[in-house]
Amino acid sequence: MRLGGWIGATWLLVVTLVAIAAPLLAPGDPLNLVARPLIAPFINPGFPFGTDQLGRDVTAMLMHGARVSLVVGLAAAAGAIGIGILVGTLAGFLGGRLDTTLMRITEAFQTVPTFILALAMVSALGASTGNVILAIAISSWPATARLVRAEVLSLRQRDYVDAARMAGLRPFDIAFREILPGALHPVVALVGVTVGGAILVESALAFLGLSDPNLVSWGGMIANGRAVIRTAPSLVAIPGIAVALTVLSVSLVGDALGTRLAPRSRAYA
Amino acid sequence: MARGTGSFILRRLVHAVPVILIVAVGVFLLLAAAPGDAVDAYLAQTGSGDTGFAAQLRQQWGLDESLPVRFLMYMESVVTLDLGWSVAVSAPVTEAILVRLPSTILLMTSAILLAAVLGSVLGAVAAMRRGSPLDGTITTIGLALNAMPGFWLGLIFIVVFVVGLGWFPLAGMSTIDGPTDPVGHALDIAWHLALPVITLALTYMALYMRLMRGAMIETRASDWVRAARARGLPSGRIVRGHIARPALLPVVTMLGLQAGAMLGGSVVIETVFAIPGLGSLAYIAVSRRDLPLVAGVVLAGTVLVIVINIVVDLAYARLDPRVADERVRSGPNR
Amino acid sequence: MHSRPHPRRRALTLWSTVALAAAISLPGSVVAQEPVTGGTLVVAADSEPANLNPAIAASNGVFFVSSKVVEPLAEMAADGGLKPLLATEWMGSDDGLTFTVKLREGVTWHDGEPFTSADVAFSAMEVWKPLQNLGRIVFANLEAVDTPDDLTAVFRFSAPTPSQLIENALPAITSVIPRHLYEGTDIATNEYNLKPVGTGPFVFTEYRPGELFRLTRNEAYWDEGKPYLDEIIFRVLPDPASKAAALETGDIHLTAFSAVPLTDLERLDAIDGLSAVTEGYDGITYAISLDPNHRRAELADPKVRQALRLAIDPQLIVDTIFLGYGATPATGHIPRSATEFYSEDKPLYTYDPAAAEALLDEAGYPRIDGGSRFAVRLRPAPFFAETRATGDYVRQALEAIGIDVEIVSADAPGHIQAVYTDHDFDLAINSPVYRNDPAISTTILFQGGLPDGVPFSNQWGYDDPKMNQVIADAATEVDPAARVELYHEFQRIAAEDLPIIPLVEFTFTTVTNDRVHNVANNPRWATSSWADTWLAPE
Repeated sequence: MRLGGWIGATWLLVVTLVAIAAPLLAPGDPLNLVARPLIAPFINPGFPFGTDQLGRDVTAMLMHGARVSLVVGLAAAAGAIGIGILVGTLAGFLGGRLDTTLMRITEAFQTVPTFILALAMVSALGASTGNVILAIAISSWPATARLVRAEVLSLRQRDYVDAARMAGLRPFDIAFREILPGALHPVVALVGVTVGGAILVESALAFLGLSDPNLVSWGGMIANGRAVIRTAPSLVAIPGIAVALTVLSVSLVGDALGTRLAPRSRAYA
Repeated sequence: MARGTGSFILRRLVHAVPVILIVAVGVFLLLAAAPGDAVDAYLAQTGSGDTGFAAQLRQQWGLDESLPVRFLMYMESVVTLDLGWSVAVSAPVTEAILVRLPSTILLMTSAILLAAVLGSVLGAVAAMRRGSPLDGTITTIGLALNAMPGFWLGLIFIVVFVVGLGWFPLAGMSTIDGPTDPVGHALDIAWHLALPVITLALTYMALYMRLMRGAMIETRASDWVRAARARGLPSGRIVRGHIARPALLPVVTMLGLQAGAMLGGSVVIETVFAIPGLGSLAYIAVSRRDLPLVAGVVLAGTVLVIVINIVVDLAYARLDPRVADERVRSGPNR
Repeated sequence: MHSRPHPRRRALTLWSTVALAAAISLPGSVVAQEPVTGGTLVVAADSEPANLNPAIAASNGVFFVSSKVVEPLAEMAADGGLKPLLATEWMGSDDGLTFTVKLREGVTWHDGEPFTSADVAFSAMEVWKPLQNLGRIVFANLEAVDTPDDLTAVFRFSAPTPSQLIENALPAITSVIPRHLYEGTDIATNEYNLKPVGTGPFVFTEYRPGELFRLTRNEAYWDEGKPYLDEIIFRVLPDPASKAAALETGDIHLTAFSAVPLTDLERLDAIDGLSAVTEGYDGITYAISLDPNHRRAELADPKVRQALRLAIDPQLIVDTIFLGYGATPATGHIPRSATEFYSEDKPLYTYDPAAAEALLDEAGYPRIDGGSRFAVRLRPAPFFAETRATGDYVRQALEAIGIDVEIVSADAPGHIQAVYTDHDFDLAINSPVYRNDPAISTTILFQGGLPDGVPFSNQWGYDDPKMNQVIADAATEVDPAARVELYHEFQRIAAEDLPIIPLVEFTFTTVTNDRVHNVANNPRWATSSWADTWLAPE
């Protein structure tokens, strides 16, 4: 797994650099019609990955699409983990009725088929990047909440917590300053999965036509290529490979980090 | 055991009621916030009318009431399980869902089982050959498949296996005017569902692989396996009975947790392969802003996930008799 | 009545088979075009409409399936006139207050009941006028339908209604439904809306949601010897690529309404045995229209609107977005194919970005520091891939003359509410339909003073008294020639003011297996009854 981690990290580094440098590497709007439609990939040095059926540069779209996938993936995962940490800490620390209520809500979100929820949200609220991030975050937080709550419950009994309470620290401070840092270790294991999942859900939403129309996204490129898959399969294949490689890299890096940080966890045997 | 099982199921169902209510309220708020209502969706399809047409339709469909009134009407319909008429498909909501439910259940359960079986087998192989190149290859392939968008894999499969090689049919659940005898019909459906099931299963297989592998490695080293080995039990029996069987426990747990995710995955798979199931109905309902139908689909999906979780909990209890009584009382997925 | 094939049909089958056999056996001869009876035609379904009753939902998606089952009084003929179906003669009075229709004798419903004028009266008063989207416009002034005998229906109007308008509207708005199955029920939720019963050449047999519609030959059809086909099956295949694949494998014989992606057309057309056909859609012409919101000060200025038009190259849209199939640059919202009303006596615009920039400067919107002049939000309708693609192109074209464009997209209901109710847009790209007469769905795009929330109408904030007057006059002008003249004036004003900007007019493409005959032989072929369609044996 060590080797996998390094390969994944390398690819992620490449994608991040390309995403940041996209406006320099491919100036102009990637959605502009710039050339003859349906130029095949690997033939024309000016258009290494060819053009789509409207004459847009696939290479430019790939590079700009990397930004959307990464931003949405990271932001949505951050949102999901953030909400999960908040809910999990409150539930685990405060206990009682609040705990039961929060857990009911968590369960509700976990039982609802999450993609259908995201689909309904983005359809209803409109397909902007912000809404997509919100929808994905809202459908992914339960796992983190559960994990954090379990950790907080076990840590709550520890000595240093009693010490903090006797020292007169307010409950809020105890929860978030003393317990939470300790509870975060297992969450690291979830980061890889959550980011990868967010990127996949974003591409699925884009595939169904629910992505920001002003921006290129890899999922949207696949949807676009679907109409011409017989004539130009590369338009579907190339962005799909980009998504798969990126999500795979996130998993490998997440795994490698997890092994480093939580070696006794059975998931990384 | 039977009486315990019965009350266990009942308790779980009762426990699910507040969950369903929360979901129902959420669906209402969501669609109320959405721009454009069912009338707008209908007119987008049928085209122009005169100045009073939209207003008349709104009045006909009860959409001209105020928000609180509509909320009360909606909650009443949810509680009495009478979701009324779907303007998106011109049929009672319940009927529209029940017609499509079997396809999705068939698709999902087949995919879940295939993913679990494939994942467990491959995970077991990887665990037994831990550290070898085979282990690394299996794990990487699993992760790679997991990283692929399901719809993308589906499209590739269609191009290669349907259009290219012609091994599988193009779309739908069954051949038009196909065999009507039970066996022939079942085989026909299986042939149609093969590719979507395989696609869905492959993308979710990795998780079960890792769980099985991890659990087997752990139990392999545990005390009681060493004891069994010391007692001289044959190796095969040890693997099957003492390592693999308890290692299945986390796999079985995951089945329940994954159900919701896979139902979501079935939405895109059903769209790509033209399967008339709950997932594609969800897409139709949302795009036509049909609140009763969206509510019905979301609730049906939720109930489906809850049922799968109950089945999984029962299976879990069967697998691990040590915890049968305790688990039955409180359920592992709490 | 339905069990044995009619003796005349058996003879026809026999002789046509002999003729066909003889023709095929002669080397190098052209295969005789004798229709062959029999066979199942498999077609890709266009969509799954919520309601299959064309009397209520007069839309192309519904007609595609239902027009084979439920017939209108008349259909469009190949020469542009009307072909009698359920009506054999029709005539409007000179004062425009009555319209008399003579009905066909010996027609029965699919369940055996006889078709009479009572069915027409019921359909008109209980369905077309109050419930149908288009009927509400044409029959707004319908007072009553008298039925002096079983085969005569007299439409009486409270205000003059041009017979020219009614005749033009006959194919789309006069689908007759059986009174005995609908009277006394709640028409909107009647079960027969999902399994229509009509007088047409095909009987509705089966609907499997998400899978198919099945129609079977009506053995008692009033047109002797027809239909030729045994069955028509509409297969639900939502994926455009799979429709192309299905044509190639022979799983389906026909796709209509450009269901196959335009980029696949060249490849499919080149295949032996398949053809791409652009004919047969003239009666269903759409336009791509750039619609500005006049509530924005910049866009209320006609010079700015003209500049918008000059900055856009419709030929590029035709060539790149439509790949040249079935599209031409538009001069107005009445298309060239509408020979009865079309006029070129009006200002015409070219593609001239330099002139556009000059106009904008003149109008008082110069480039700020050599950059952009002002910013707008553009909403492209999601109804067609081509409207969305046009949105992308328009953004590029306007950015080139210094207008910043942000694209806002929504799904169909969201778009409708945003544009037609909330007026939450600066520019919108829409796809209005011309339905054979300007009064049906075209003038409503220009008429002032409409309430909010009327989809596909003038919600742009445009209100011109001259235009309003022309529209009102033409709506009640009984003399056909004078009416045409009024619509020429309408086109002149529209082109001068340019309240909404027509870019391209387009129709659709059919891809058909060459075994299917009599394809596209009338201007509304895809939405007509297909009684004369036949399938050559393999």
